[in-house]
Amino acid sequence: MSKLGRGQREKMQQFMTITGASDKVSLQTLKASDWHLEGAFDIFYSQPQIQAHTDSRHLEKLYNRYKDPSVDMILADGISLLCTDLKVDPQDIVMLVVSWHMKAATMCEFSKNEFIDGLEALGIDSLEKFREKMPFMRSELRDEQKFREIYNFAFGWAKEKGQKSLALDTAIGMWQLLFAEKQWPYVEHWCQFLQARHNKAISRDTWSQLLEFARAVDSSLSNYDAEGAWPYLIDEFVEYLKENGVIKSS
Amino acid sequence: MSAQKKRNFQIEAFKHRVVVDPKYAEKTWTILEHAIREIYNHNASGLSFEELYRNAYNMVLHKFGEKLYSGLVRTMTYHLMEISKSIEAAQGELFLEELNRKWAEHNKALQMIRDILMYMDRTFIPSTHKTPVHELGLNLWRDVVIHSSKTQSRLLDTLLELVLRERNGDVINRGLMRNIIKMLMDLGSYVYQEDFEKHFLEVSADFYRCESQEFIESCDCGNYLKKAERRLNEEMERVSHYLDAKSEAKITSVVEKEMIESHMNRLVHMESSGLVNMLVDDKYEDLGRMYNLFRRVQNGLVIVRDVMTAYIRDTGKHLVTDPERLRDPVDFVQRLLDMKDKYDKIISLAFNNDKTFQNALNSSFEYFINLNARSPEFISLFVDDKLRKGLRGVSEEDVEVVLDKVMMLFRYLQEKDVFEKYYKQHLAKRLLSGKTVSDDAERSLIVKLKTECGYQFTSKLEGMFTDMKTSQDTMHGFYTAVGPQLGDSPTLTVQVLTTGSWPTQPSVTCNLPAEIMWVCEKFKSYYLGTHTGRRLSWQTNMGTADLKTTFGKGQKHELNVSTYQMCVLMLFNNADQLTYKEIEQATDIPATELKRCLQSLACVKGKNVLRKEPMSKDIVEDDTFFFNDKFTSKFFKVKIGTVVAQRESEPENLETRQRVEEDRKPQIEAAIVRIMKSRRVLDHNNIVAEVTKQLQARFLPNPVVIKKRIESLIEREFLERDKTDRKLYRYLA
Repeated sequence: MSKLGRGQREKMQQFMTITGASDKVSLQTLKASDWHLEGAFDIFYSQPQIQAHTDSRHLEKLYNRYKDPSVDMILADGISLLCTDLKVDPQDIVMLVVSWHMKAATMCEFSKNEFIDGLEALGIDSLEKFREKMPFMRSELRDEQKFREIYNFAFGWAKEKGQKSLALDTAIGMWQLLFAEKQWPYVEHWCQFLQARHNKAISRDTWSQLLEFARAVDSSLSNYDAEGAWPYLIDEFVEYLKENGVIKSS
Repeated sequence: MSAQKKRNFQIEAFKHRVVVDPKYAEKTWTILEHAIREIYNHNASGLSFEELYRNAYNMVLHKFGEKLYSGLVRTMTYHLMEISKSIEAAQGELFLEELNRKWAEHNKALQMIRDILMYMDRTFIPSTHKTPVHELGLNLWRDVVIHSSKTQSRLLDTLLELVLRERNGDVINRGLMRNIIKMLMDLGSYVYQEDFEKHFLEVSADFYRCESQEFIESCDCGNYLKKAERRLNEEMERVSHYLDAKSEAKITSVVEKEMIESHMNRLVHMESSGLVNMLVDDKYEDLGRMYNLFRRVQNGLVIVRDVMTAYIRDTGKHLVTDPERLRDPVDFVQRLLDMKDKYDKIISLAFNNDKTFQNALNSSFEYFINLNARSPEFISLFVDDKLRKGLRGVSEEDVEVVLDKVMMLFRYLQEKDVFEKYYKQHLAKRLLSGKTVSDDAERSLIVKLKTECGYQFTSKLEGMFTDMKTSQDTMHGFYTAVGPQLGDSPTLTVQVLTTGSWPTQPSVTCNLPAEIMWVCEKFKSYYLGTHTGRRLSWQTNMGTADLKTTFGKGQKHELNVSTYQMCVLMLFNNADQLTYKEIEQATDIPATELKRCLQSLACVKGKNVLRKEPMSKDIVEDDTFFFNDKFTSKFFKVKIGTVVAQRESEPENLETRQRVEEDRKPQIEAAIVRIMKSRRVLDHNNIVAEVTKQLQARFLPNPVVIKKRIESLIEREFLERDKTDRKLYRYLA
């Protein structure tokens, strides 16, 4: 194998840091993209992850470490411990990504199947591998399609079991977390608006449409289409922004 | 077969081998020339037609047609030149007369000449494509006489001057004019147009331009229109008397343009006399004139209609938003009807029942009636007033007229469901208090509403009537079955109302007096005995009672009161005075109702069967009430009950509005589901349009409300958004 030039080595470094991929995979991908970083990302994310072999006994052991003594599930304490082990803040958004991979039904708990199947799919059977996978999971938030999936997943995950809608406080918390990553300029206004004017739970449709809104409409709301079949709450929000002089009304 | 030559037989004309005397043609021509001269000199009597004809005939026959023809042209031209000179020489007034006379003569001469030369006319001329004699005569007249340099312009000027004089009021010789004009027409429509009509129209345009300017500065609209109409009629008459009929359309369009079209806006908007003033003062004749004149002009009626529409909308808007007017709903509606009548009359008398005007009127009414959100309520109150007392003693046909007018206003309403709500409430009160003037009138209106809005609208109303009838039967049955047991207890009349049909009221019962309670229970057990599985609840806020009352000095009266009032008054059978609190406790009537009730018993002059201490107007918790021994009234029967339909107070109005809005939500959802079920996939804007269309017979749905209903349906998983196009919705079976 020819020796890598300095530029190439730098790119490999960058690539590995961002995607958390292994040397071999990074090299392959970068070569395939002719050493263009952006192209390499595209390739990488469109390929299914290589299924690393996991040891089910290790997984069982890992599960038992966090499992709640009285129920056959991992509850809040267990999750806390897991976070400590992983050296992440429990509020860190990467935990949401983890939950997504596990297809967790509700926040603050993992069933045995969710935990084990999820980790297996990720190719994790030890804390070390888990830690190594963190950067990769973080990077998934930057992929548009995956972010949408994670965002929509968050609704079902964050709401109370048996409820159809998401409580306002929880929704606001989630939005602040999610849009901090995505940097939507109006997230604070949106939360204020809801607390001032709406004060009720958030429907699934409103939740998912908000992301579309944040993506489709630019920062001056110049391409906001009043006939665009946005949920009425979003229409009211635009009115609210205009009333408070945040954006100019035409 | 040998070809035998066929022999053609030829028949030849008998060849005149007559030697033609070269001088023959010349001689013959001379004769004819002489004849023509004699004709022109009015000496035709001495001529022999037969001889002349033969001469001409011979000339043509012997191939001297050319000579004959050219000779004719020469001779005629010569004579016409003479004639032309004499015409030119004519002075002043005589000019036209001379021209006219000479023309007549020429025509006569021409006729004779043509007769003489008939053979040539029929043979030589067609074969050589020359101009026939008669036409030749006309052409020569035209070229030599009419188009002579002096005559041409003089003729035109004279004619135009005569027209001008006539326009200025002088009498002119119309017969002469007619003949001259006819002459021009005979010479060819091109001559008529170029030599006369074209200039006539130009000069007329100038004339009317000036005159209209003068009039418009000095006249008011009505007078101006009169003058314009007069001028128009004048011109038409002028044409019929002495111009070509085809000129009529042209000259009328000149008058229309100069007198009407140029000043349309100014006339319509003229201060103190324009269209609006005419409308206000019902000036049918002036309006009719304006209509007839303006319709001749392009966009004339558009201006009239637009100004009228704007005015109606404006007055209507003021009418419905004027707080003074809104105090009295019946008066308010009456004014609307009066306004409609006024404009209907104008359109019928002055605007020829023009459909476009009728439509403009309708759309204006629809516009401003709906500006006031309380219009539906007021219209219902108007109907209520009519059906309770207004139509008493009125003939059947007149009743129909009034009801039809009400229906007409009803059609303008956008919020028909609001009207329905109020109508139900008011009808309920009318039925329960037995206060309707005519059952037939009530039913007639229901039928009209059904025809307009369909069965659904009126099914509940009809249910109310049915309940009334059924209750009568029930009462009959009750007294037959239980009557003897009741003895001396108060006479009870019960109306059993089917819950779904009657306007919903929150049912709060109060404590009825014992004797009433007793007979009510008797009824209840009777009823439930015959109708199992039903539940009865007494609507104490809707009943009435007749109380036989004896006052201090023995004066007896029969008091007609509401149920609540009865409960209060019956307490005074056992006490002379009671505090507010005691009454409240004893009767259990809700506070607002109780206060209203006590107010009507103690604070209204002429109806104060109770006395209140202190004597203030309002009811407060510390008040004490006494039976008013000193009560007097002229009437034996005194009505104190307050179960009459009234204009709602603001809070009540708000409440009704809210209920209407709530009622609309399921209707909108039902419409959305219906539409999506059949279309399966539809985009947002189209759903809104379809829903609006489906519901417009009842009310105009708010697009925001429709959107909210769609979202609610998404949440309840009746619909979903399309995955790729977020504006599209999909029906979920």
